[in-house]
Parts: sequence; C-alpha cells; structure tokens
Amino acid sequence: MEEPSPTPDPPTNQLGSLNDLAHELASLEDLATRGSWRSILDKVSRARSLNLLTSPHDHLIYLSYNVLAFSKLRRFSEASNEIDTLDDFNSSYYKYETYPRLYPNRSGSMIPFSLRFIHAQLPIKLGNRQEGLDRCYLLLKFIREKIKEKESHDLHDSVRIWKRRENSVLNCLIGHHLGDKEFSLSLDLIKDLINRDYLDPVLVSKLGYIQMQIGDIEGAKGSFNSVETMLNERKSDEYFLSEVQFRNLVNRNKALVYLVGKDYVSAVREYEECIERDHTDVVALNNKALCLMYLRDLSDSIKVLEKALERIPTIALNETLVINLCSMYELAYVNHSEIKRTLSNWIVHVAPDDFDASCTRVLISKDGR
Amino acid sequence: MSTAPQGSHSLAFRVMRLCKPSFHVEPPFRLDPADLFVGEDNFDDPLAAANLPPLLSTQLSKSMDSSNLTYGNRFHLHHPSDAMGFSGLLLLPQSFGAIYLGETFCSYISINNSSNVEVRDIIIKAEIQTERQRILLLDTSKSPVESIRAGGRYDFIVEHDVKELGAHTLVCTALYIDNDGERKYLPQFFKFVVANPLSVRTKETTYLEACIENHTKTNLYMDQVEFEPAPHWSATVLKPDELHPADSSSTGEIFKPPILIRSGGGIHNYLYQLKFASPDSAQMKVEGTNILGKLQITWRKNLGEPGRLQTQQILGAPISRKEIELQILEIPSLINLDKSFSVHLNLTNYTDRELGPFEVWLSKDSVHEEKNVMINGLQIMALPQVGAFGSSDFHLNLIATKLGIQKISGVTVFDTIEKKTFDPLPDMEIFVESD
Repeated sequence: MEEPSPTPDPPTNQLGSLNDLAHELASLEDLATRGSWRSILDKVSRARSLNLLTSPHDHLIYLSYNVLAFSKLRRFSEASNEIDTLDDFNSSYYKYETYPRLYPNRSGSMIPFSLRFIHAQLPIKLGNRQEGLDRCYLLLKFIREKIKEKESHDLHDSVRIWKRRENSVLNCLIGHHLGDKEFSLSLDLIKDLINRDYLDPVLVSKLGYIQMQIGDIEGAKGSFNSVETMLNERKSDEYFLSEVQFRNLVNRNKALVYLVGKDYVSAVREYEECIERDHTDVVALNNKALCLMYLRDLSDSIKVLEKALERIPTIALNETLVINLCSMYELAYVNHSEIKRTLSNWIVHVAPDDFDASCTRVLISKDGR
Repeated sequence: MSTAPQGSHSLAFRVMRLCKPSFHVEPPFRLDPADLFVGEDNFDDPLAAANLPPLLSTQLSKSMDSSNLTYGNRFHLHHPSDAMGFSGLLLLPQSFGAIYLGETFCSYISINNSSNVEVRDIIIKAEIQTERQRILLLDTSKSPVESIRAGGRYDFIVEHDVKELGAHTLVCTALYIDNDGERKYLPQFFKFVVANPLSVRTKETTYLEACIENHTKTNLYMDQVEFEPAPHWSATVLKPDELHPADSSSTGEIFKPPILIRSGGGIHNYLYQLKFASPDSAQMKVEGTNILGKLQITWRKNLGEPGRLQTQQILGAPISRKEIELQILEIPSLINLDKSFSVHLNLTNYTDRELGPFEVWLSKDSVHEEKNVMINGLQIMALPQVGAFGSSDFHLNLIATKLGIQKISGVTVFDTIEKKTFDPLPDMEIFVESD
C-alpha cells in the first residue's frame, strides 16, 4: 500500500474551511447539526470501506463521530465496542510525534477530547453506574493534571481550553448525581465550581433549581437574588450570555418562586415577559404551559405547547415538552390515542434521528390501530 | 385505578394528580466543536490557537442561530453548564406516586363529553371517602353546569389535606340530562392509599434524642423540626458545630447546607436539652408518667411540596420514687470546737406503708480517715417507725474535733426490719470556731 503523503499540517495553514482539518469534516459537521446520525454512520462506514481516510487524525476524528452517532442513537454497546478498537488513549499511536513525516514539528495527543468524554459516560448508559462515575472522576483528575502541565509551560490558550473541559466534566458529574437524587453531593460539587471562580449566573441559577428540587425554598431565593445582583452589576459578555438571555434567566427564576408559592398568575406573567423578549425561549414556553394547567386552563396549556412546536420546531421539539403535551392530551381526551398518533406522525417527519419517540407513549396495537 | 362506568355515557371523568412538577435532568452528549475537530492538545500550538477559534465560533454561532433550522442545540455546548442537562424545564408528575399522611392531595378533574351531542344540567360532585368519613370537595348542585357541548369539557381542581392513613377513594359523580332527555348518573372511583411517612423514636434522660426515619420514596428536606415542651419543661435544641465554618463569602451567603433525609430508611437525629422551667416545679414531679412534649415536623419535597405532622405526647422515663428522704433542717450558726451541737433532721416516708424502726449513724467514708465531726454519745441513734406518708423529726448530737471548715458526712439511715441501708446524706459543710 502506498504510504500516505504528508498531510498539510492543519494549524500552520490558512484554514479555509473545516475540510482542512479532516477529510470532508464540513459534511460530517453539517449532518451532526441536523441530527442525521444514521447518515453519519453511513458516511463513516463508506469512507472506511473506500479507504478515503489517509491519516491517523482523520481516522480518529471519523471514529469520534461514529462513537458520537452510536451514543446519540442510544446504541451504547456499539459505541463502546467502537472505542474498544482503539489502544489506550494515552498510547504513542495517537501522538503526533510518532509520525514525524506526517506531522513535522507537531507534538501532543491527537485524540479528540470528546472521545474521552463519551468513553467516561458510556458505562452509566450501559447500566454500570459506579464504573462510569469512577471514569468521570478519573477524567477530572486527568484534566487537572493537564492544566498544571500547560500552566507550567505558559500555554495560556491551551489552559483556557482545558479549564473549559474541566468545567464541562464537573457539570456533567453534577447532572449524573442529580439524576440519581444524590442532592447533597450535587450541592457540594456546585459549591466547588463556584469557589473555583466559575461563578456565573447560569450556574448559580442551577444551584437555585437544585435547592428548589430539594425543597429548600429560602436557599433558592437567596441564589436567585445573587443572580439578579449579577445582572444589575454586569459587565458585558462576561458570562457567555447576551442581554436578552440574562434578562430572561432572571424572569424565569422569578417565575419559579411564584410557582412554588402557588401564585401561578404571576408566574405566567413572568414567562410571558420572557417570550415577548425572545419567542424562542422554550423553557419559558414549556413552564408557562404547566402554569396554565395548574390554573385549571388545560385547553390553553395545550395550545401553548402545540403552537411552540408549530412555530419553532427545531428549538421546541424536545422529549420533556412532548411528554408534558402527551400528559395533557391524556387528561383532556377520553380517546387520546388519535391525537397522540397525529403528534407522533408529525414528529417522525420533523425530528432528528436521536429523538426518543417513546416519549409519546403511543401504543401500536397488534392490528395496527 | 378508575372503575369503568356501566352502560353508555356521553360523559367521562379524567383525573390527574397535580402534585408539584419536578425539574427534568439528564446529562446529554453535547460537545464543544474544539473537542471533536482536532486533537485535545491542539491548542498547545500557538498557530492553531490563533487560527482555530474563528472557525469554531462560526460553527457555534450558526448552531445557536434560531432562524437556522437545525438541531445544533442538541449537539453543541452553548454554555458549559449545558453539560449538566438541567435547563429548568419542568416536567408534569408522570404517575400518581405515593401519598403520605400530612400531605395535601391535589387533583385536576376533567369531565369530558366525548359524544357528538350536547348534555345539559350537569350536577358534579367530588368527595373523598375514607374508612371513617366522607369529605365533600366539590358540589355544583346549587348551580349546575348548564351544558357541555359535544367534544367539550368542564374542569376543576380539588385539594384535600390528608389526615388519615389507609385506603381513600376519590368519588366523582355526575348527574346530567343527555340528548334524549334522559337523566343519567355517572359515578367514577379512583382509589389510593395513604401511608405513614415518618417514624419518630425518642431516647431520654435530661436530654431528648429524636431520631426521624424517612419511609417515603423521595428525599425529604426538613424545613422545620420543633420540639414543643410540656408546660413545666423548657427545651433547647443542640446543634453540632459547623463542619466548614470558614466559607468564602460568595458561597456562604447563598449556601447553607440543608437537612435532607434520604428516601427509603434514611435517618436524622435531633437533640434537645430539657430543663424544668422553674425551680419550684422540681417538687411537682408527678409519679408515674412524665410528659415531655411533642415534636412538630414540617418537610418539603420537590419544588417545596409541603407536608406536616405532629407526634403524640413524648413520655420521659417514669420517675423513680425515693422511699424515704432524710434532710437536715437546721444547723446551729455557731459551732465551737469540742463542744456538742445539735442538728435538727427530718425523716419522711413517701411510701404507702409503715417503715422502720430505723437506725441512724455516721458512716466512715474510708477505713483510715478520721472523722472530724462525730456523734456525741451513742454512735447509733434509734428511731421509731414512721407511718405511711408520714415524717419524723429528730436531733443528732454532734461534736467537732477540728477547727475551720469541716464536713458532716455519711449520715446514714438503716431500716431494721427490711434490713435496707439507704444512701447517705450528701456532705454538709460547717465552720468550727475556737471557744
């Protein structure tokens, strides 16, 4: 077999497009943003069988997309098997310096970080929660060592990226602990994040939601007050949030406090302010619908959700909203299977591949009715 | 859960328990483009660090643009905390769930006309039926619903504070006139069982330790746990020192560790110090039972869903009664060395039978120690019997053989019939002066 010619060293060239980073990366990325994960599997399979991938980094990036696609389609065993085809992530096979002819003057790991991130979480999805959590905490340790290493070499951009990764992994861990109702631990981890100067209004708001979920309403109010203070004192762009997003966050937090106090009318008012400011605020839309239901207005609550799906399908279509709508249908209609089927059929046409259609709870009986 | 109505009805009840919603949480597989397009160490290279970000941010802003009809929001991380999968989206309760004593049962009830004709004059009633009683929640008899059109609905929400354990039935009835002018009656029944959420065990000396155990399926946030002492007691709650006293100010204000009891058997202990409210009441101990007070517990579940319970009267250990009590009533103010002095004592019989005759002496506390205060005269004093609930005064002649502060110690009473030695009187200090 012919030895692959040295690929243009990606970082040193002018990057015209994503395709300079990997073979037809733009197409892969496009499919991913459309949620066409099955097409990604096809594309990767085709590229492999036609030997279109010429360099190690191409293979790794394609493998990452493949693993991601399997994970998105909830085919976790296949994702895991795909990763198992690799050597240890830290092996020299995956270092640029191992291929000096291909990557002259480059060193370091060519493993895309997402592989580590997905690999750490797969055991949880496969039912082996403890193994998954262990991997996540080990990954955290790995990241922190990397940060120290990069800091010692004054690689500031790299440090910034690795710190962002540390942040994501911590947030992911909090999510897993929350899902298993390990609230005290989740609170400790968020406190840790805030203390490490990752203090940010979205994070503090989430602290408030955790406090609310537990029932510590006074604690939640305190958190939300901090967020409002941050808004009033804000220096622009400091927190990844636009002005509109920040204001909506504060309104949504206020709405939750009203909701908990059973003042659903005021909660609806807050959510309407959000929607007026940003018609794509799907959290406000969803939660407003729920408030309407608690106000005995089932018809309007259904309308809010149906309208959201109709007008902004790519933003509003999420499993939680659909579950809420189906619960409302089951309450509103004695013969709710028909209307749920209509919804289900619409979803099939619009939804991305990774949408979990079981949320409609549409039973298909043996005779197809 | 519902029993299907007999015959054909135009109307049907649909019921949904309306406890508080909960937040949806599920960490998604969402990534930053930099973690997918290039190797993880890529940004070590200063050229990459310069060239890549514009490309990456183009990708991100494309996916965040809502006019661009893609599902980038399910794929890219727009904010680091997106990785938590906890956006604040609320989820309706998905099942009836368990219901516990002290909670409020809240339900959405919708009466649907699924036929294609109108019905009129609908009298709707909703009641809760328990073993002991029937509680009316809703009754439209005084103002019946005029009509429900074909495909229409009449909705209401009912609430009931659950105060009984065991089987409950939500009975929904509709009395209406259908299209044929016929009067129809539709009953529907929804059953549920109320369980006990907590058990409280107490242990007491002058401290009361209450152990609260959570029998529910969710974690319970202890909003308020208060001990209400009985009239002649006062109680202070004892808390451990904070484990992390030096919190940084950013978290100290917004973050106070909550008391959360784990579901399915988790426990938390509370400690109270009990004292008699006034010194006099020490004399008023009632024989037998000893009521300490009650615990008031308020808890919260998701989004503050409250529940409250009060325990029954908590009893202390029964007071162990003394049979007899010996007291020194009077000691002379001037006690001279080597001069006899008289001490006035009283012996009280608290039992309901005659006790004695008794002997009184001063016991030696240790073999070698010489007493400086002794009985002057016969070393054993004989006392006659003392009747039931009676008392007897007597005098002991004592003599002190040393100057200064001395002790009258070891005054012991012996019941000659029951052959029982009672605990000696506590030491009493006296001042011995020279002549």
